[in-house]
Amino acid sequence: MRKLGLALLVLALAGGSTLGLAACGSSSGGKEGGTLTGSYASFPEYLDPALAYSTESWTAIYDTYLPLLTYAHASGAAGSKVIPGLAVGLPKISNGGKTYTLTLRKGLKYSDGTPVKASDFPASVERMLALESGGSSFYTSIVGAEKFAETKQGNVSGIKADDKTGKIVVDLTAPRGTFSNELAMPFVALLPKGTPVKNLTADPPPATGPYEIVKSEPGRAWSYERNPQWTNANGKLMPEIPGGHVNKIELKVVGNDSTQVSEVERGKTDWMQTAISADLYPKVKEKYEGTQFRVEPTVSTYYFWMNTTKPPFDDLKVRQAVNYAVNPAALERIYAGTLSALHQVLPPGMPGHKPFDLYPHDMAKAKKMIAEADPSDRDITVWTDNESPNNEAGEYYQGVLQELGFNAKFKEINAENYAPLVGNESTPDLDTGWFDWFEDYPHPNDFFQLQLSGESIQPTSNYNLARIDDPTLNKKITELNEQPLGPQQEAGYAELDREYMEQAPWAPYGTLTTSTFVSSAIDLDKVIYNPTFGNDLTSFQLK
Amino acid sequence: MAPESIAATGLAGAGPWRLGLRRLRSNRVALASLGLFALIVVFVLAAPLWADHVAETGPNKTHTLQKIEVDGEKRDVVNPEGKPIGPVWLGAGGKFFLGADSRLGRDEMVRLMYGGRTSLFIGIVSGLLTTALATLLALLSGYFRGWTDTVISRAMDVIWAFPVLLFAIALGLVLAVGGLQIGPLHLSGGSIWIPILIIGVVMVPYMARPIRGEVLSLREKEFVESAIAQGAGTVRIMFSEILPNLISTIIVFFTLNIAANMLLESALSFLGVGVQAPNASWGTMIATGNNLISSAPLLTIIPGTMILLTVLSLNVFGDGLRDALDPKSKVRFEAHSGLSAPEGSETIGGLTP
Amino acid sequence: MARFVVRRLIGMVAVLFAVSVLTFLVFNVIPNSDPAQRMAGRAAKPELIATINEEWGFEDPLPQQYLTMMGKVFSGDLVSYKGRENVEERIVEGIPATVSLCLGAAVIWLFFGILFGYLSAVRAGGLLDRGLTVLAVTGISMPVFWLAAIFLNYLTYKTEIFPSGEYVEFTTDPLEWANHLILPWITLAILYVGFYSRVLRSSMLDVMNEDYVRTARAKGLSERRVMSRHVMRNSLIPIVTLFGLDFGALLGGAILIEAIFSLNGVGQYAYESLQSLDLPPIMAIVLYGAFFVVLLNTLVDIAYAYLDPRIRLGTSAQ
Repeated sequence: MRKLGLALLVLALAGGSTLGLAACGSSSGGKEGGTLTGSYASFPEYLDPALAYSTESWTAIYDTYLPLLTYAHASGAAGSKVIPGLAVGLPKISNGGKTYTLTLRKGLKYSDGTPVKASDFPASVERMLALESGGSSFYTSIVGAEKFAETKQGNVSGIKADDKTGKIVVDLTAPRGTFSNELAMPFVALLPKGTPVKNLTADPPPATGPYEIVKSEPGRAWSYERNPQWTNANGKLMPEIPGGHVNKIELKVVGNDSTQVSEVERGKTDWMQTAISADLYPKVKEKYEGTQFRVEPTVSTYYFWMNTTKPPFDDLKVRQAVNYAVNPAALERIYAGTLSALHQVLPPGMPGHKPFDLYPHDMAKAKKMIAEADPSDRDITVWTDNESPNNEAGEYYQGVLQELGFNAKFKEINAENYAPLVGNESTPDLDTGWFDWFEDYPHPNDFFQLQLSGESIQPTSNYNLARIDDPTLNKKITELNEQPLGPQQEAGYAELDREYMEQAPWAPYGTLTTSTFVSSAIDLDKVIYNPTFGNDLTSFQLK
Repeated sequence: MAPESIAATGLAGAGPWRLGLRRLRSNRVALASLGLFALIVVFVLAAPLWADHVAETGPNKTHTLQKIEVDGEKRDVVNPEGKPIGPVWLGAGGKFFLGADSRLGRDEMVRLMYGGRTSLFIGIVSGLLTTALATLLALLSGYFRGWTDTVISRAMDVIWAFPVLLFAIALGLVLAVGGLQIGPLHLSGGSIWIPILIIGVVMVPYMARPIRGEVLSLREKEFVESAIAQGAGTVRIMFSEILPNLISTIIVFFTLNIAANMLLESALSFLGVGVQAPNASWGTMIATGNNLISSAPLLTIIPGTMILLTVLSLNVFGDGLRDALDPKSKVRFEAHSGLSAPEGSETIGGLTP
Repeated sequence: MARFVVRRLIGMVAVLFAVSVLTFLVFNVIPNSDPAQRMAGRAAKPELIATINEEWGFEDPLPQQYLTMMGKVFSGDLVSYKGRENVEERIVEGIPATVSLCLGAAVIWLFFGILFGYLSAVRAGGLLDRGLTVLAVTGISMPVFWLAAIFLNYLTYKTEIFPSGEYVEFTTDPLEWANHLILPWITLAILYVGFYSRVLRSSMLDVMNEDYVRTARAKGLSERRVMSRHVMRNSLIPIVTLFGLDFGALLGGAILIEAIFSLNGVGQYAYESLQSLDLPPIMAIVLYGAFFVVLLNTLVDIAYAYLDPRIRLGTSAQ
C-alpha cells in the first residue's frame, strides 16, 4: 500500500516537473527549438499525401511531403504563388500547353536517407491513381492516366523520368492552365518507389520536407520531429522553404472546441487548428485579438444554388428576385462575424476577383419581380447540410422563400452525405439549397469548371448544382484554361464572374473567415496562414 | 361467459378498480405530479394562443435583423456579434418572453410551447404504439408458447442485444435522409412519424417481456383452462379473458413508457436524427441551445428543465398508479432512457425458451 | 447443465448473426449514399467511381457483400470507408477509455445505489426515504446528455473545478486519469444510482414482508443480523442481475457521454462513424456491443440456472 502511494507520488512529481520545464522553456524570448503542442477537433482524414484532401490534412503535411512544385510559405496573396519545390524551377511549357518539363534537384534525400529519384514522381502518381484517391481527377488529363487508373497495369505512359539527369516530362491530352497548380498539390508529393499501395496514415512514409512524422495514432495524436536530411541536404537545396523553428511538434485530438480554447488560454497547448465556434468567437476575439488571435481570410464562396432546369427556377426573373431577397447582412449575423458578405462567384483572394454586386438587397423589388414572373410551381424543397451555422443559413433561406410566396419544404442532410446526395440526379426534389466551395488551388478555373460549366454536369458526383449549361459561357471557361494564368486571363475570369451573376444561377452570400489562435508562448506575428494550406507549422516560434 | 369468469377470479371488475382509485386519491404526491403533468399539457396546448395574441410570431419565424422595443428602449433581437437577446419577460408586451433561441432570432417561448407539443405528441403516440405492439406480442407469445414464443422472444432478443441508442441513431440517420415507404404510405424524411416509429419499435422488448411473463402465468389459471375446455375461440380467450386482467399493468407501463420515450426522443433529436429542423422539439432546442451554451446557457437549461419536469411527473404518477392498481405486482418497467433492461427475474423468463 | 449452456451459447451466436444482418441491411438502404462517391472526392469522374465500386465490391450482390464484410470482421482486416483505417485497431485503442469510464461509473452507482436503496428501505415512509426518493426519481428523469452539457459548462469552463473529459492513460498518470474521469463518471452514474436505489428499495420491502424474515425476527435475532443475513442477501439478487445487463450494454459504448466529454473511447468512435455513415466501424462496434450484452445475459442466465434448477429442467422439458 505504502509502495503504491509512493509510486503515485513519484509519478505525480514527474508529471509536474515536465510541466515546469515546458513553462521555463517558453518564457525566454524568440528562440529556436522547443516543442510546439497543438490540437485538432478531429484526426485528419489522411496523413498519406496521396489521399489527403482537406485543409486539416494539408496543414498537417504541408511541411512534410513536398511535390515538385509548392506554394510560397506566406500569408494572403503572397502565399498563393507557385514556387519550385523538389524541382529546380517552374516547369517549361511547350507543345501548345500540352507538355510540361521539369528537372529534379540533385542531392535530395528522404528522411530515411534514401536518395530522391526522378522516377519516384511517376511512381507516386501511379500510387495515387491506384489508391483511387479523391485527387485522381486532377491528373486524368495526363496521357495514359485514365487507362492506368482503370487497369492498374503498366505505367502512365505520359510521364517520362530520367534518373540520371533528373529530367521529368509530362504530356497532357489537352492544354490545362491549372496544371502547375495541380503539380503543387500534395497528391503528387514524391514518395520512394515501392511505397506500399495502401493508406499509410498510421505508418507515414519518409518525408522530404523540414519535418517528418515520427508517430501517428489515428483518432488521437501524431507528432513530428525535424527531418535529419533537411539540415544535411534538402534544406540547402530549397532555400525558399523555411526550415522551421521548433524541434518537435505534438498534435492531439480534442473533440470539444471549448476545451481547445481553454487549453490554449491556459498555455496547455500552443495552438488550435480548428476554427473557433460562434459561441466563443466574440469573447476570444475581444480578449486576444492582436496578441494571440488573428482573423484570417479563406478563399471560399457560400451560396444558395437554384436548379435552372426546373420550374420555378428555370425563370431568370425568379432567380434574380431570390438574389434581391437574400440579405447577406442577415447571414453575416447568423455566422456571428465569421462571414463577410459577397454577392459574386469569385471570392477575395482569388486571382480575377473584382468586387461588384448586381443585386443589392431589396425585398420590395424581389416581391414585385416574383409577382411579374408569377411562377405556377411554388412547391419547392430547400436542401442544406446539418453543420451549424450552415443549417441555420438554410433555415433563414427557407424563411426568405416563404416570404416571397413559395411553399418551401426544408431538408437537412448529414454533412458527410450531403454532397453525394445533392450531386445525384436521381435524388427527388432538387430545387434549391445551400452549398460552399473552398479553393483547391488559387486559380479561378477551380470555381467555374466544376460548379458552373455545363460540361461538368454528370449523373452522380455532380457539382454543377444549378445545372446551368450555357454554351457560350462553357466555351469561355475552356478557352480561358488553355493558357497559364496571366493578367489577360484574370480579366477574362472577372468578366465571366459578372456574366454568370447576370444569369443568377446562384445567390452567393459570403466568404468565410477563420482564425489563428495561439498561446502566449507563441510569437503571433511570425505565424503564417497560407490560403491553401492553413497555418504553416514551420512558422511557429516560441517566444 | 366472460364476465362471470372475470368476476369469479376477482382480479378485475368494478371492485378492484374502485379500490385502486381510492388508493390513488389518497396518494398526494401522485396527484400532485398528475397536476403538474396537466399543467404542462395546458401549457403546450396554449401554444397557438400565445403565438398569435401575445408573441405575434410563429415558432419557425426568423427575426435575425429585427429590433424590438423593450421598456421603451430599442434592442437587437440578435446583436452584431451573433448573440441572441436574453429573456425580456413582459418588457416587450410578451414578445421574446424568454428571449430569442439562436442567431435566427426565433421566439424561445413560442418554440418552447410548440416544441413541447411535438415532444409530448411523440412520447404519447410512440407510447401507444409500443404498448399495443408489446401487448399483442406478449399475448401471442405467452398464449401459444412453443415455437411462436421462441420466434417472438428471439426477435426481441435481437432488438435488445443492439445497443439501443446506436440502433435508434442508425435508423434515424437512414430514415431522416430517405423517408420510409410502407406499402402505399410514404413518410418523407422530415416527418415526425419517423421518430415515433423508431422509438415505438425500439422500446417494445422492454415492455413485452414482463407482460409476457404475466400472460404465461395467467395462461395457467383455471378460468383460462375452463374457457378452453368450453371451446372458446383463441382470439376470444386472448382478448376477453386474458387481456382484461392485464389492463392495470398495461396502464402503469404505458405511463412510464411515455416518460422513457420522451427521454429517447430528446436524445435522438439532440443528435439530429429525431425531429427535423426547422421544427422544434425540446430535444432539438437543447441541441440549438448547446451551440451557445457558453454565452447563453439559459437556452440549454430551459428546454431540459421542461423535459425533466414532464418525465418526473410521469414517473412519479406512474409509480403511484402502480401502487394503487397493482400493489402486488412483481413485474416492473422503469423509465430508463432505454439503456437498461427491466427487472432481473423477468429477464430470465424472457430469455429462456 | 452442460446441455443448457450449449443451448444458450448457440442462441447467443444466432442473436449476433441476426444483429449483424440487420445492421448491414439498415445501412444498405440509405438512398444515394454510395460510399464510392464519398471516397472518390469532389470532381470525381464516373470512371473513377466505377473503379472504386469494383475494387471495394460495392456492386456485388448484397449477400456476397455481407459475407465479405463479416469475413473481414473476423480476420481483423476491416477497413473503414472514411479515412480507410483499420477498424479493429481503432476499437482496441478505444477500449481502455471505455472500460475506465464504465468501471468507475459502475463502482459509484453500485455504492450509492445500494446505500441509498438500503437507507430508503429501512426508513421507509420517513423523511430520509422521501428525500432520497425525490433525488432518485429526479436522477432517472433527466436527459443524460443535457446534464453532461450543463456540468461541462459550469464545472469545467466557467469555474474550472474539473478538467474537461479527454482521457488520460492510467499508465501515464493515475491521478490525472481519475481527475479527468470524475465528471463523466458522476454524470453517467446519476441515472443508475436513481434506478438501482429504487429497485433495491422495493425488493427489500418485498423481502422484509416475506415469512422467513418474520420468522427470523420472531426468533429474536437482532435487527442488524436479520437485515444483513436475510434481507440484504436476497434483495441484492435483482441488483446483481441488472448490473450484469447494464454493464454489458454500457461496454458497447456510452455514446453520448463519451462524445460530449470527448473521451475518445469506443462510444465516441461509434458516434463519429455514425455521423459519417461509415458502415464498417459501425458494424464492428454494434457486434462488439451486442456481444457484451448477449454474453452477460447468457452468464446471468447460466448463473440463475445453476442457482435455480427449475429453469434448467423447464428448458430441457421443452
